[in-house]
Amino acid sequence: MVLACLAATIVFSLASPWFLTIENLTTVARASVELLIVSLGMTIVLAVGGIDLTVGVTMAIASFFVGRALMIAVPAPLAALLGPLVGIFLGAVTAGVIVLGSVPPIVATLGLYGVFRATIYALLGGEWLSGLPDVLAPLVRPTILGIPSVAFELAALYVLAWGVFRWTPLGVWWLAIGGADAASQLAGVPVRRAKTAAYLASGLLAGIAGAFYVAQYRNVEMTTGSTIALDAIVASVLGGASVTGGRVSVLGTALGVILFRILQNGFVLIGVPSLWEQVVAGLLLLAVLATENAAKLRALVMAR
Amino acid sequence: MFRGKLLAYAAAALVLSTSAWAQGKPKVAFIPQLIGIPYFNAMEAGGKKAAQAFGVDFIYQGPVDTNPVDQLQILNNLVDQGVQAIAISVLDASSLEPVIASAKKKGVIIFTSDSDAPKSGRAVYVAQARDDQLGFTIIDELVKRVGDDAKIGIVSGEATATNLNTWIKYMQQRVKEKYPKIKLLEPKYAGGTAQRAAQLATELMTANPDLKGIIAVASTTCPGVAQAIETAGKINKVIVTGYCSPNTARAYLKSGAMGFTVLWDPAELGYLTVWAGKQLIDKKPFAAENNVPGIDHPISYDSATGVLLLGPPAVFTAENVDKFNF
Repeated sequence: MVLACLAATIVFSLASPWFLTIENLTTVARASVELLIVSLGMTIVLAVGGIDLTVGVTMAIASFFVGRALMIAVPAPLAALLGPLVGIFLGAVTAGVIVLGSVPPIVATLGLYGVFRATIYALLGGEWLSGLPDVLAPLVRPTILGIPSVAFELAALYVLAWGVFRWTPLGVWWLAIGGADAASQLAGVPVRRAKTAAYLASGLLAGIAGAFYVAQYRNVEMTTGSTIALDAIVASVLGGASVTGGRVSVLGTALGVILFRILQNGFVLIGVPSLWEQVVAGLLLLAVLATENAAKLRALVMAR
Repeated sequence: MFRGKLLAYAAAALVLSTSAWAQGKPKVAFIPQLIGIPYFNAMEAGGKKAAQAFGVDFIYQGPVDTNPVDQLQILNNLVDQGVQAIAISVLDASSLEPVIASAKKKGVIIFTSDSDAPKSGRAVYVAQARDDQLGFTIIDELVKRVGDDAKIGIVSGEATATNLNTWIKYMQQRVKEKYPKIKLLEPKYAGGTAQRAAQLATELMTANPDLKGIIAVASTTCPGVAQAIETAGKINKVIVTGYCSPNTARAYLKSGAMGFTVLWDPAELGYLTVWAGKQLIDKKPFAAENNVPGIDHPISYDSATGVLLLGPPAVFTAENVDKFNF
């Protein structure tokens, strides 16, 4: 994964003089903020062998509440806090349906996606929130030594998640459940509580992403977040998460997001027609996964 | 026993008579490209007003994302329901022809509004402003502000939307004919999200440091592109314009990120659409100049192309934007 990122960086910086500039790298970083946050939540959910398709609309609903709060002059810190609060609430709904209702995650989150999307339509009532007050700028604008402070905040978040997976019982439980649900239950792992925690985390992170979205884009449309769930799954899987659960790589997810955005950015810089971007991105995704699988296969063969 | 039967017959008669009465009111439907956005909401409001004025039942249904397949499904549903006149803002012109043909057999009239499918056999196209005038006006106004040898970028929405592509085509034509020194870049497609539009706009500015203007073609791309200018700190260095509603553009017109926007009144367009539907149901032909009750200027009709035209495009700037609310 690291190699893929390096390779892409080298290719694009040779192909375009503007790629490796501070300005452009900042653009890539800014575009990655919400995706990095949401992908972390998706990684956690994938770890327990689940999936959460609602993260995009959860982010949108959270953004809506943050935006509305700004419009009625709620102080910026309180308004920003609304994002994660709404996110946890919606994450609890998701957790409830999946854990209490015993509905398979893909079915549950697909259904909830529809419900939440109807909610955002109803909340917006056809009126986009546009040109929101710029008061959340301190979340995203400040830079330390030329690097946006957001980068440090997100790095801290990822280190925290990595720590949870590595050193806390919760992290161990998550991976155990993802690897073998029934066996973990028999081994005494509090499966229901751990799964609930996973979906709560996913919702919380989507809510945080919502606050950052409003800070960066100052608008909320019903299409807000509509592509982010699938992008997050792609990034997590690219990074090494197993779709069936039990194995994730937090660092891999971060690199997956960055590679994704580097590809999008590089294509525009070198002038690839917009429509080809998705074709090339899809092919590259397959190529990266194929080479990683080939390496694993070779290691397996060598071990014999 | 006798009373029971009497009641049953009375109830049946009541139901039949109300349904017959309900069938008496002609039904006109409008299918937008996407529901829940201010632009089409305004069209819906105009359509409802016309429905009341002209005594029709107005049905408004659309897809929840700019997906042509979903839109066609809704169209087929309405045709099966026996709605007499259905207007559609076309997402994919190529797939409309067979639907119109089979609808004609069922006595359903299909016409287009806001976005056309010219060769599909539709009864009429209710146009907001002439497509060529829309393309030309936006280029003319932008050149006034950036000079006639500048580089201009285009951020569009869906790659298949007929109306967006037609306007881009006329922009390119205008540049070729009147402003040969202008460099108009190939359009980039953002899909429906403001985030992608902002990202594309920023990347266009990075790849072209001498970029002077960006045109946001789809209304969903407007806030994203304008915000990208503000975030990059390029107000007054890069001028954004687009087919954006005054409400969406207001903050950016006032901050200077957007120089102006070009549009028309979608509520009037929705109103005209329902009127046209009623005319089609009543089999009244369109005259070259039509007086539509409720619209303050005559509406012209071109029988060669089958286009019913609302009027010339309007230009919104920081000075006049507060007079409008849509």
